[in-house]
Amino acid sequence: MATQKNSPLRQHHFLLRRLHSLSGIVPIGVFLILHLTTNATILWGVLNSRAGSDMLARRVGTFQEEVSFINGLPALLLIELTLWISLGFHSILGVYYAFSGRPNVREYPYPDNWRYTLQRVSGYVGILFIFYHVATLRWGWSFLVPGGTQWSHNFAASTLAAAMQGSEQGYTVAGIAVSLFYFVGVSLLVYHFANGLWTAAITWGLTISEQAQKRWGFVCAGLGAGMMLLAWASIIGFATLDYDAAAEIEGAMHSETNIPAAAQSHADNTNP
Amino acid sequence: MAHASTIKNFKNTPKPDRTVQFRIKRCDGPGQPSRYESFNVPIESGSNVISCLQYIAANPITVTGQKTTPVVWDAGCLEEICGACTMVINGKVRQSCSCLIDEYAPHEGDVITLEPMSKFPVVRDLWVDRQRLFESLEKVSAWVPIDGSYDLGPGPQETPQQSEMRYTLSTCMSCGCCLEACPQYQKEDDASSWDTSFIGAAPLSQARLFNEHGTGRQLKGARLDALMGPGGINDCGNAQNCVKVCPKEIPLTESIAAVGRAVTIHSFTRFFTGK
Ligand code: SF4
Ligand code: SF4
Ligand code: FES
Repeated sequence: MATQKNSPLRQHHFLLRRLHSLSGIVPIGVFLILHLTTNATILWGVLNSRAGSDMLARRVGTFQEEVSFINGLPALLLIELTLWISLGFHSILGVYYAFSGRPNVREYPYPDNWRYTLQRVSGYVGILFIFYHVATLRWGWSFLVPGGTQWSHNFAASTLAAAMQGSEQGYTVAGIAVSLFYFVGVSLLVYHFANGLWTAAITWGLTISEQAQKRWGFVCAGLGAGMMLLAWASIIGFATLDYDAAAEIEGAMHSETNIPAAAQSHADNTNP
Repeated sequence: MAHASTIKNFKNTPKPDRTVQFRIKRCDGPGQPSRYESFNVPIESGSNVISCLQYIAANPITVTGQKTTPVVWDAGCLEEICGACTMVINGKVRQSCSCLIDEYAPHEGDVITLEPMSKFPVVRDLWVDRQRLFESLEKVSAWVPIDGSYDLGPGPQETPQQSEMRYTLSTCMSCGCCLEACPQYQKEDDASSWDTSFIGAAPLSQARLFNEHGTGRQLKGARLDALMGPGGINDCGNAQNCVKVCPKEIPLTESIAAVGRAVTIHSFTRFFTGK
């Protein structure tokens, strides 16, 4: 009967659904914006005149500063834990929810229906991408990186460029695939966030009228476009970065300050 | 709006005395296998799918000359009011009584495919059982509670804007188009799972209709409770197909968002008041 009192299971369902919606925005979406902004310094770092006059030094230097800053954050582990829990929660529940739908764009090829379908596809691809991204760069699973490059905090830009290009000497075929995967993965995630932000406003009941939904759509599209630019700037920045030149700049940065021994030995390895 | 694309195709003048082929998905009864059979139908100007089905019922002979059983379908009003004749025509769901052959098949030998809706159990051929939809309306108490043994007095006042908005919602004929086109609404053969499977746009919109009614509001809490659980409002995936196929042009996505808002407020209120 409709008037039946709520069982704990029903309340559970509602709470989980809304937490799924919320977690995609805070913390995951907020983190995505910050993360893309940081990464894009590899291109817009040229504007940072504090980092010297050489354009490459500005780019690599600014990015390295950002990475070092993040690594020095006081509660970094707590931030990471929050993100991992949120990502795990959002992914697992998201896949579970997505399985309840059966896309029908063939019969009903409306743009909104494509949007709905792409939201699910971008979720699946996004999970694979984030897994690869975190496993190779954070957990150090270098066997998944063509050329086996280990990402280093202290050689942030150079080692990332090598990981994306496939080797420290520049592009390999596998490297092109990795770079493309980055391009597709990041673009889909930005879409997933922008569209998710749009539908969240319907889910929570913020935008009711068609006009309100349309207006909010422009806001989300604008935000998405801006994030897409940041994402592509990052990818172009790293995909075109010269490993040796970047590593030299980073090495010089660390020799002025205290370099952890491991990084020093890495510097020695890479710049004999 | 719903059939704008088909109306656009109406540009070439239909050929007057032509024959159109109907390819029909047939099924002899619940649980029986289905098959396709084709029939040639001579077209008069103004023919619609139902009049062609009547011709086929009178002449149940397939294109290969085989005699077969008459095709079964459901219909009532023949003017897009009752929703009974809803079926899938050329892959898209719509009412068959208002489906004009001149729009769909203007040329000699054009083919029109008719299939029953896929989200409801087939009774026979093109006739489906929409019982689940009616039970969903029951689940959301889609009525105004006026039962009682005493005079309730005059109803509450309503603004013209309010009644205009509710009028649009009240034109829903429970046809099932919005459910058929919804990627989140699946066919459920087991009736015991109906209560927890996604309820679809029409009942959500009806819940809004009666929540907005001066007296119907009394059951608002119960309606929202019913829509907060599994199969309720949260299972909508915002594909927004429903609003595009609704023959009554009911703003279903606005209803969905309005129920979303009501449920958000309802849950917060409940959290902080403990009620
Ligand atoms: S909302 Fe529209 S499509 Fe859905 S059942 Fe009612 S009239 Fe049909
Ligand atoms: S908006 Fe919701 S109810 Fe409408 S078609 Fe999409 S998933 Fe179904
Ligand atoms: S017969 Fe009533 S809507 Fe077609």
